[in-house]
Amino acid sequence: MTSKNLGRVTLAALPFVLALLIDLTLYAAIADRLPDRLAVHFDAGGSANGYTSFTAYLLYTLPSLLVLGALWVFIAVKGRLHGRTYRWLIGGGFAVAAFLGYLLIAVLFVNVDAPEGGSADGLPLWHIAVALGAAALAGALGLLLSRLAPAPEDPRGLDPATRERIMLADGEVAAWGRGIGAWWAPVAVLVLLAAGVTVGWEQSWFIRVPLILLALVTGTFCRPHVTVDRRGLTVTGLLPRPRVRVPLERMEVADSRPVNALAEYGGWGYRIRPERSGVITRSGEAIVVSLTSGREFAVTVGDSATGAALLNTLLDRQRAGR
Amino acid sequence: MLFRVDPTSTVPLGDQIAASVRRAVAEGAVAPGERLPAARALAESLGVNVHTVLRGYQRLREEGLIELRRGRGAAITAGASPQRARLLERVREAVADARDLGMTEDELLTLVRNELDA
Repeated sequence: MTSKNLGRVTLAALPFVLALLIDLTLYAAIADRLPDRLAVHFDAGGSANGYTSFTAYLLYTLPSLLVLGALWVFIAVKGRLHGRTYRWLIGGGFAVAAFLGYLLIAVLFVNVDAPEGGSADGLPLWHIAVALGAAALAGALGLLLSRLAPAPEDPRGLDPATRERIMLADGEVAAWGRGIGAWWAPVAVLVLLAAGVTVGWEQSWFIRVPLILLALVTGTFCRPHVTVDRRGLTVTGLLPRPRVRVPLERMEVADSRPVNALAEYGGWGYRIRPERSGVITRSGEAIVVSLTSGREFAVTVGDSATGAALLNTLLDRQRAGR
Repeated sequence: MLFRVDPTSTVPLGDQIAASVRRAVAEGAVAPGERLPAARALAESLGVNVHTVLRGYQRLREEGLIELRRGRGAAITAGASPQRARLLERVREAVADARDLGMTEDELLTLVRNELDA
């Protein structure tokens, strides 16, 4: 691991480790004064309506801090975030850790000295306000700390001259197309449909209709197809619409590089993130287009080198005014 | 799969589209089972008539490189190996050469039959 990475890992993990240590210390301090049955679930008015044992509570809550910390470290190292986006990630980590760390321990404090087997008074709602305040303070602290070390620089060289091209004769027209296999898309459609039918049946059409609509839209994207042509980069489903199209006019330069779905896009599907968006069906090679707005648009697709090379060729033509 | 057509060339556009697919199969850029773009979508991409694309697809079907299924579009056949695509290219070249030499169809077929019997 490089020293730069070590710094990023430390900064991303720090709030979660701190929250964990503080919570553990406080747990240890008050463990003797807790009842066997902890009130851990509260209704909107703050009264307790759910209970669990102390051990179960620890087993359930502590890993949540660890898992979130691991996710933040993963994104900080693999997420290719730079500049402001990176600083916001660090600040966000501090805020989330403070919010969660505060609430996890506040729940225990309202249980202190509660009668055995009886109910705690409940969680006064001002705890939420304090947790939000702690999150804001910690977030600001995280933003400040992230300034101690230089944020990762934007690694992209935007000079189009450094990219591969496809040799085309004058007047020759070229198009590139390829399907994206997404094995999980049909599964997602089935789950959404099942949820729409069953939940909708029990609840109301108000929930059912959006779920079924979402399933149908996802359904048309079961076998997406990526096209690069004189109009730009297009991702279509089974039908001509809906579709996602980035016209050549909005592009600066195209690249073929591997992307990480979770670290860079926070998941799979049509993703919109700060500074980047994309149709992400898996981790792996993708066409990544740098847009004139400074954002990035990515499509995970095989043989992305050919697609990116054709895009750069078409961009040349456009600049030359042909 | 990369499609390229040159409207200034003397080769018919449909044949140029077929040649693009043949080249992709020969280079191993596409695998059996992979789908070709819908004819209408490809026609819009390349700025050609949809019937031109269909003529190209029809030609590939006759060569056994793709199969056309109603409602499911065109897909590369299971038997479409790079070797087969390269063989088709050589057959096309042989026919073109024979035409240049002014050979008749029978003369060319006799040559092929002799080679098969040898």
